[in-house]
Amino acid sequence: MGPPPVVTGISPKEGPPGTRVTIRGEFLGTSATDLIGLKICGCDCLLSAEWKSKNKIIARSGPCKGRGDIIVTTRSGGEGTSTVQFRGYHESIGPVKESAVWVEESAPLSLPWGRRPMSPTTYTPPDPLGLSTEGDDCKFPEEELHELYPDGSGNLSDENFEPGWYLLEHHSNTSYEDLKAGMVFLQRKVEGQKEGQLHLLKANTGAVMEQLDRLVLLKNMFEEDERKAGREPLPSLQAAIEESITLADSLFSEILSRKDNADKTREALSLLTRHKFLFQLPANIDKNIKKKDYDLVVNDYARVKNLFGNTDVKLFQKILADIDRKIDDLKTKLREQIQTMPINIQDQRKYIRLLISLNWDGDAAWVAINSRKDYLMALLDKVKDHFKQKEEQEAADKGKRKSKPDSSGWSAAAGEWLAAACALLAEQLAALWTLAKWYFAGELAGSPTANNRQEQFKQMIIESVELFATHMRGCLLPAGGAGGAGGGGAGGGAGGAGAERVRARLVENLRALREMYEALIKLDLPSQPLSIVEGVIFEYRAHGMTAFLQRALRRVNSLAGQETWRIVEFTEYGAITNTPHELEAIVKDALTQIHECVFAPGRRERPLLEAGALQQHSRPLLLAAAPALDHPPPDQQEFNNSSLSVALDQPLDETLPHSAGQDRGPSWQQRLLIAACNAHYTRKVTLNNIAKAYEQYEFPVPTLAIQTTKEALSNLEATIAETYLEHKGDPLVGTIEPSMYMGRHKVDPDEVVEDARPYVYEIINNLIAVHAEVDSVCGSASTRYVRDICETVCEELARLAAAAPAGGSRAAAFRARLEYRLLHVACQSHLTRKAENYLMEALASVPPLEFDEDKKRMEVLVEDFKKRMELQLASLNSNMEIV
Amino acid sequence: MAPRATAAPTLHKVIMVGSGGVGKSALTLQFMYDEFVEDYEPTKADSYRKKVVLDGEEVQIDILDTAGQEDYAAIRDNYFRSGEGFLCVFSITEPESFDATQEFREQILRVKNDENIPFLLVGNKSDLQEKRRVPLDACTERAAAWRVPYVETSAKTRDNVDKVFFDLMREIRSRKSDDSRASNGQVKKGKSKRFKCQIL
Repeated sequence: MGPPPVVTGISPKEGPPGTRVTIRGEFLGTSATDLIGLKICGCDCLLSAEWKSKNKIIARSGPCKGRGDIIVTTRSGGEGTSTVQFRGYHESIGPVKESAVWVEESAPLSLPWGRRPMSPTTYTPPDPLGLSTEGDDCKFPEEELHELYPDGSGNLSDENFEPGWYLLEHHSNTSYEDLKAGMVFLQRKVEGQKEGQLHLLKANTGAVMEQLDRLVLLKNMFEEDERKAGREPLPSLQAAIEESITLADSLFSEILSRKDNADKTREALSLLTRHKFLFQLPANIDKNIKKKDYDLVVNDYARVKNLFGNTDVKLFQKILADIDRKIDDLKTKLREQIQTMPINIQDQRKYIRLLISLNWDGDAAWVAINSRKDYLMALLDKVKDHFKQKEEQEAADKGKRKSKPDSSGWSAAAGEWLAAACALLAEQLAALWTLAKWYFAGELAGSPTANNRQEQFKQMIIESVELFATHMRGCLLPAGGAGGAGGGGAGGGAGGAGAERVRARLVENLRALREMYEALIKLDLPSQPLSIVEGVIFEYRAHGMTAFLQRALRRVNSLAGQETWRIVEFTEYGAITNTPHELEAIVKDALTQIHECVFAPGRRERPLLEAGALQQHSRPLLLAAAPALDHPPPDQQEFNNSSLSVALDQPLDETLPHSAGQDRGPSWQQRLLIAACNAHYTRKVTLNNIAKAYEQYEFPVPTLAIQTTKEALSNLEATIAETYLEHKGDPLVGTIEPSMYMGRHKVDPDEVVEDARPYVYEIINNLIAVHAEVDSVCGSASTRYVRDICETVCEELARLAAAAPAGGSRAAAFRARLEYRLLHVACQSHLTRKAENYLMEALASVPPLEFDEDKKRMEVLVEDFKKRMELQLASLNSNMEIV
Repeated sequence: MAPRATAAPTLHKVIMVGSGGVGKSALTLQFMYDEFVEDYEPTKADSYRKKVVLDGEEVQIDILDTAGQEDYAAIRDNYFRSGEGFLCVFSITEPESFDATQEFREQILRVKNDENIPFLLVGNKSDLQEKRRVPLDACTERAAAWRVPYVETSAKTRDNVDKVFFDLMREIRSRKSDDSRASNGQVKKGKSKRFKCQIL
């Protein structure tokens, strides 16, 4: 058990309940938990106690009254003692006292508060003993007083006043000496009151006498005045006063008016300063508009509307009207600016925002969108006009120089036009779309939801894109097939260099289109306008493809005219010229170009081949091969001039200069044959190669077209064969009859026939000539022609035999038989069944040999013929041996 | 003396006066509890009492630490009346507080009505010599004029703290013994008051 706590200090030593008290002392506890009791004036304050150290505790006083000890109790030291005391008091709250409680001030407090009485009702008379009541608060207990003087009162003014009470109450601490002095004081006071009026007069004799003197003086002066001014001095006085008033007024009126003016001016000035903002606003608005500081204007306007919007002051209203007018002007100006193109989209947006904040009653964004769209359309038209004009001018220039219309799709101007239009559309549509996005996102106020605005806007986009599409079609695609064909001639004429240029342009244009398309895709445009653009691109690609194919077609067509008939190669299908190779090359070239330039689809583009345009265009191209390979028209002159023999001689003279001395190349018949070979070769080889090329480029193989072409080529071959036969066989056959009847037609019946008539040899020779010609050109394919001719010859023989039967003489019969026999032998390898039939038919009309000697002779003659004609026969059948 | 007081040690009532913030409470707390309080909190009216040994005799010292602020000037009279000795404190760094001592002196003399009341003029904050703004001459001059001792103290360093309290108690003690000797003869006004209280 330690020493008990001792409180030796208290701060403050007095206060109302709740005072924060610092208690100091010794042994106030070893820790916060050691403190188990705290009493201030008997009130338990442990709850609020805050243990700081063993020397210090902070607590709040309780609701105690009066003086009392501070008792600290600790676990370690027990209950303590206190050398100091705390006095608690309850504060009476007055009007000037700071209090947390609201003091009702209207009703005066009945009990006196503070030292000094505040109203007469609460006036406490001064101490009758003349002693200070300040000081000792040691009050005599009121209860005791009541006990001592049950019917008394301490109040001096009360009837039942008890002096003892008063003394005890007020002077319980006063010393005896003081009380005695008070007694003397009171006695003097009472005596003073008793002495009364006499005492007053005695004390103030001098003053009274002086007053009397003054009164006499006054009376004298008054009487003198009366004498001077008469009995009624007032009127004159009044007049004088009035006069002075007027004078004073006149004196001051000027000053007063000046003061009034000054006041007014000051007032006006202060008003001006106070509402400087308002008064300077019109000028500021002008200034800011001039500086394009529209935000400032809008802010100012909003502010002024806020501040003075509801003002009743005329002047303000006037200024406001002025401001409103200016703002209206600004609105109009802004609106114009929105509609004035070209304009930066950001600026436009800014202006729209401004208009919105200025409460413009239109739908600014919509107006902007509309004007932007109109501008786009107008620009597109303008670009179109510009380039059309340029093109026309160019065309005119060219017309002067070359008189050749330029292909509308490939001119440089068109390319520029396309590029310009693409850039324009991409840029403007992007702007328009961005604006619309803002608008429909509600960023630009207005009423994006009203009146199918979305729909309208979509229509707008589509409209502009369609316009673009139309222009581009006009620009890039010829007006129709005719235009393409017209351009085609020129393109064909332009040749290889032109082709390169066209290709470059095509690629360039396509790139521009695609870039634009990419840009539009990036914008997230709806699919409809995109598909329009895509359509243009697709058409252009298709057009490009068509152009390539048409160019190929033209080149193929021109192949016919360029045929040189120079044999370049002998194939198993006969001798061919360069034409089939060129044909193949052209087609392959076209395919390559198509593949390189237009085939690959860009992003979100249809594959090119979907429309089947390639198939469509491949067909005429391939079909054109047939006419290109066609035989040349017969050279009339040559044909007319050349006798049969000349015609037959030609193959032999091939290497020699022609009779006319000109190197004309192969003769017409040869060309015919070459053409046939070409057709054959094309049919067998080139077309297959072309089909492979299609496959190689992943194009669908135009099987049908190839089939048709093959058929056409077959027909061509047939036609050529027929023509050749006609031209070769007819004269040959035609010679048979005259030759047969030439000379000794009528054979002597008894004559021993030793040999066939010359016509047989002629036929054989002619056949040899034909064979040689055909073989030289067609090689292995030549049999067909010889066969056909043989057949014709046999047919003619049969006809002749039927027309003039060799019956009658034995010799004639023998000769006829011999001749047929010889022919049969000669043509053996070329005879078809039909030809043999003809020969049989002819033989049938000849009477059979009746005599053995005739038979023998026939055999001998045939053998002899074989021997004699061995060389000829060999040449006629050569190809069989070769093969 | 009162019969009650004979049991308990003699009590000397000391009152601290002076302007706000000169260090009255700091001196008191340093004397009472050997602690120096750094933070300033204006005092209203604090009371301290403890036993000390004065020249071998056990006495009790009662210290009334008063408010320096002018707000409380009105209630000072009451406090002063009960005081037996006064420590009039000023700060040597603050001339205004030195000037105010004059006023306190006058008020004490008026209330106590005694020229020879135990009184010490104390110049506090002597540790802040470099900030000194009241010259030592002026202080000693004023003390001489009043015929009171002048002591410079430092509540911070405890320099002269015990001295001022013990010197004052000695003064009070000698005054009391003078009074008791003179009580049979002529009686002072202030003392007779106390005497009357006892009777009542």
